[in-house]
Amino acid sequence: MFSRWNWVACGFYLMLNVCSPDVSGGLVQSCGHIIPESPVLALGSNFTALCILNESCLDFGNIYANQIIWKIKNRVVPKEQYREINRTVSSVTFNDTSSLTTPLTCNILADGQIEQNIYGITVTVGLAPEKPKNLSCIVHQISRFTYVMTCTWNPGRHTFLDTEFRLRYSWPEEVFPDCIPKGVNDSCTITDIQFFVNTEIWVEASNALGKAESDPLVIDPIDIVQPLPPQNVSVSSGLLPTVLKLSWENWISDAVMTLKFNIRYRIAGDTSWMEVPSEDTASPRTSFTVQGLRPYTEYAFSIRCMKEDGVGYWSDWSETKTGITTEDQPSKGPPIWRIIDASHSPASWTVHLMWKALKPFEANGVILQYEVTVRDKSCLSSPLKKYNVTSTNHTLQLPNGTYEVTVIARNSVGASPPSVLLIPASNSKAPVKNLRTLPKHDKLWVGWTAPNSYVLKYVIEWCLVSSSSDCIIEWQIALGDVQGIDLKGIKPFKCYLITVYPLYADGQGSGQSVKAYLKQDRPAKGPTVQTKKVGKAEAVLTWNHLTVEEQNGFIRNYTILYKTIDGNETVVTVDPSKTEYTLSSLTSDTLYTVRMMASTDNGSRTGPDFTFTTQKFGKGEIEAIVVPVCLAFLLIVLLGVLFCFNKRDLIKKHIWPIVPDPSKSNIAQWSPQVPAKHNFNSKDQMYPEGSFTDVSVVEIEADDKKSFSEQDLKPFDLLKKEKSTSEGHSSGIGGSSCMSSPRQSVSDSDEGETTQNTSSTVQYSTVVLNGYRDQTPVQVFSRSESTQPLLDSEERSEDHAGGADSTAQRQQYFRQNGGQDENNTDRPCFERAKQITHANEGDLVGFVQLQVSGQSSQPLGLGMEKNTQEAALSKVLQTYTEGQTVRPETVEENPLSVDDMPKSYLPQTVRQGGYMPQ
Amino acid sequence: MAAADSPSTALRRRDLCSRGIRLAGKMRADVVDLLDTYVEQQGLDASASVAAVEGVPLAAVERWDEQTGTQRLLENLAAYRAFRALLAQMLEEQREQLGEADAGLGRALAAVLLQVSAFAYHLEELLRLESRGIPGEEGDGPPPPPRLSLFEQKLRGLGVLRELAQWALRSARDLRQLAKPSAATGTAPGLAESP
Repeated sequence: MFSRWNWVACGFYLMLNVCSPDVSGGLVQSCGHIIPESPVLALGSNFTALCILNESCLDFGNIYANQIIWKIKNRVVPKEQYREINRTVSSVTFNDTSSLTTPLTCNILADGQIEQNIYGITVTVGLAPEKPKNLSCIVHQISRFTYVMTCTWNPGRHTFLDTEFRLRYSWPEEVFPDCIPKGVNDSCTITDIQFFVNTEIWVEASNALGKAESDPLVIDPIDIVQPLPPQNVSVSSGLLPTVLKLSWENWISDAVMTLKFNIRYRIAGDTSWMEVPSEDTASPRTSFTVQGLRPYTEYAFSIRCMKEDGVGYWSDWSETKTGITTEDQPSKGPPIWRIIDASHSPASWTVHLMWKALKPFEANGVILQYEVTVRDKSCLSSPLKKYNVTSTNHTLQLPNGTYEVTVIARNSVGASPPSVLLIPASNSKAPVKNLRTLPKHDKLWVGWTAPNSYVLKYVIEWCLVSSSSDCIIEWQIALGDVQGIDLKGIKPFKCYLITVYPLYADGQGSGQSVKAYLKQDRPAKGPTVQTKKVGKAEAVLTWNHLTVEEQNGFIRNYTILYKTIDGNETVVTVDPSKTEYTLSSLTSDTLYTVRMMASTDNGSRTGPDFTFTTQKFGKGEIEAIVVPVCLAFLLIVLLGVLFCFNKRDLIKKHIWPIVPDPSKSNIAQWSPQVPAKHNFNSKDQMYPEGSFTDVSVVEIEADDKKSFSEQDLKPFDLLKKEKSTSEGHSSGIGGSSCMSSPRQSVSDSDEGETTQNTSSTVQYSTVVLNGYRDQTPVQVFSRSESTQPLLDSEERSEDHAGGADSTAQRQQYFRQNGGQDENNTDRPCFERAKQITHANEGDLVGFVQLQVSGQSSQPLGLGMEKNTQEAALSKVLQTYTEGQTVRPETVEENPLSVDDMPKSYLPQTVRQGGYMPQ
Repeated sequence: MAAADSPSTALRRRDLCSRGIRLAGKMRADVVDLLDTYVEQQGLDASASVAAVEGVPLAAVERWDEQTGTQRLLENLAAYRAFRALLAQMLEEQREQLGEADAGLGRALAAVLLQVSAFAYHLEELLRLESRGIPGEEGDGPPPPPRLSLFEQKLRGLGVLRELAQWALRSARDLRQLAKPSAATGTAPGLAESP
């Protein structure tokens, strides 16, 4: 218990000693301290520190050296590095200071494991400065009288410490103030420089760990001077056109140093410099005359200087000054060429002379004019023609012949040597051979093989081929000993036409031409293809050549690509000279898509698609089909016309049936009074179309005959008879027929004797047909002895007209007819029934009616004039009728043959509208 | 004079003479320039005649061509030591008068002073090569001049600079004379050259 309190008191005391301010000193009275205090250590060296405890702490706090703990930056130093020297001193040793970190603290582990800091120091680790090396100095001239000396050195390794560098210099008897670099550690500039005295210069580096000096540099500053370049340089032209005089000022006096110079110059605009030989300018001077220059050329000059003995440094180059040499006469004549246009007149030429302006180094000045002289060589007596021209071309009208043209360029100094061009009557000399081209970067090389004869020079013409404008010729002259030149200014992807003419001493060779591209590309567009002709299995394609601007190169071939919608593409390669191609083996009546591709050496371009459809029929196939069909049609038509012609009466009768108007019939006054006949009125006869409602159809099944009474079937039996008989003599005059005695007719036809009976009877009347439809038929009864109550029947028919619509009434009507008169078969009724029968062909009655009605119009159509042909026509009609209808069983039931019919009615005039007397 | 020069000694002497000549030339040029600046700056008349400056040996000498090399060196050394003291005094007076107002003149004076010192060093080196003892400077130099008025100071400075220019010219000729091979013998030069 006591011990615990004792430790608490000890800790409290320790804290008081460490933390509480000392009354006397104002600072904390520490329980110990470390030596050395904040040392600067060499990196890599060993280091030992001692922590010394105060005696006062020992007595009160029981603190001893064996309780000391060393720490570097809160990390405990291993105990192996500790050593207890005595009870108040503990040391720690570090074999390598590179492992040291700051701070290094001395701590006490008091009883109770309370760790208390006693003291701490800051440890600085670094390196001593190295000896500065490579000291060098240069004296710069700042102004006319001002020089500064800048020395540089290698400061050596980094020391990790504050290291001071000093540049020191001295004379043997004079020590100058040090030069301390600012912001850097490897150079310093001295502004107080004295020449002609050897000066010792060295660098001193120092820090907390040591000091080092460079090797001294003993030098006279005058030997390391870089002077300012010559000032105020001027250039003036001399008397000669090939010299220029340079003048300048030296800003360093001869008392300080004498100078030598370098002079460089170049033509203005050039990039490369030329230098005046150094030995020519090795002595002090302030001017120099540069020789060997080109006349009338602008030169740029620049000068530099250094100490005459070559010790020191060259100055910078002076600012560039330019000067122009004076003019001289042109050194050569202008290159000349011509274009001869002989198209205007066969007897004369238009000669376009053209020459090139001399290059500046050839013109040697400003060309004021050109003197052109033309001499007719074919006529020696002809005078010279002279022209003064300021441009570089001249046009002459010359008769055909041989001429010598001379051109002289003249400037302010003099004239050039003449340039001579021979214009021969014909270019009959040998041409160059093997003309070829080869692209070389941005130039086009043109080469040729020289002809066997000696060639003075060659003229190379070239022009840009264009589809829209004329070829503008450019030209160049090459000497006779060359066999190739580079053409400059050639544009890529453009076609050039290049022609080479050899010029001989006595004439001119014919030109050889070649087309060339500097660089090729694929065509700008593809050809537009279209069809010229499309057949069943072939199509003729046509296209236009691409313009030269679109080609971008030599068209090596065209490629035709065609396909059907769902088929594979077929490729055909076509020679580039062609503009037409025939596709064969195509499928007929098929849609094809075709496109065309133009190819150069550098690629291809495809044109737009074009579609076409092959024809369904080949050439002549349609004709082969149409012509026979037409012929057949014509033949049929012809036959039909002939038939109709032959049957015109029958057709006429069929189309325009003669319908008599009973109302105007005089026979009405004497028609027998048959109430049943009142069903027929005049209106029905006049307008049969509207009488369909009056038609009653009795449908009788052949098998159902039994279901009818004998009385009911009588009329049909009679009808059968009527059918068999009326084929020949049914008059079609419904009213009349109806009013005639059926019994009489049937009996006539049945007995076969009726011909005589009929002929022997007294005719009631004769009905004369005068018109139809538009014409009111006039029925004239010339004589009538009948007592038939026609008027009554007409009146009654009118009475019954409105009530005859019901089927019951119509049936009643048939019954009445059948009952009163077996043969009372009303013909108009049959006419109307015919149309119904068409809709009920299987109907027995309808069929019978059809049979009857089909023949009923015949007598009307044929007319009375045809009586003699009745028999024949009946046969034809019978045949025709059979062709149109199916003969039903009823025909078999009524075995009356058609052949028998004429016997019964031929003599009867009633068929022509007559009326059989009863 | 040394009886026989080693090659290195001869080379050293030639080098010293060469540098001395050029230094003298530079010094003369600078002094001439400084004279113009000084006259203008001090408001003096460039044509004003100035009496001989006390303590400065005259450059002009009779029978110059009969002087020995050592004699030439000694006279030069005495003169330049005197110039060094005078120029230092001028520089101090200049700073007192103008302060930093005309630093250019002060710098030029300092530069000339350095050249004078350097030339004196050259002379001492040459004398060592001649195996002759170098005369010691007389204590603190010449006795301090009496207190002069400002104008008198300016005139004295003008006189110092004019005489220095003369001495620079003479020194260059003296050194050329010394640089001649015959000069190594210490005998009087055969050719008469007047400064």
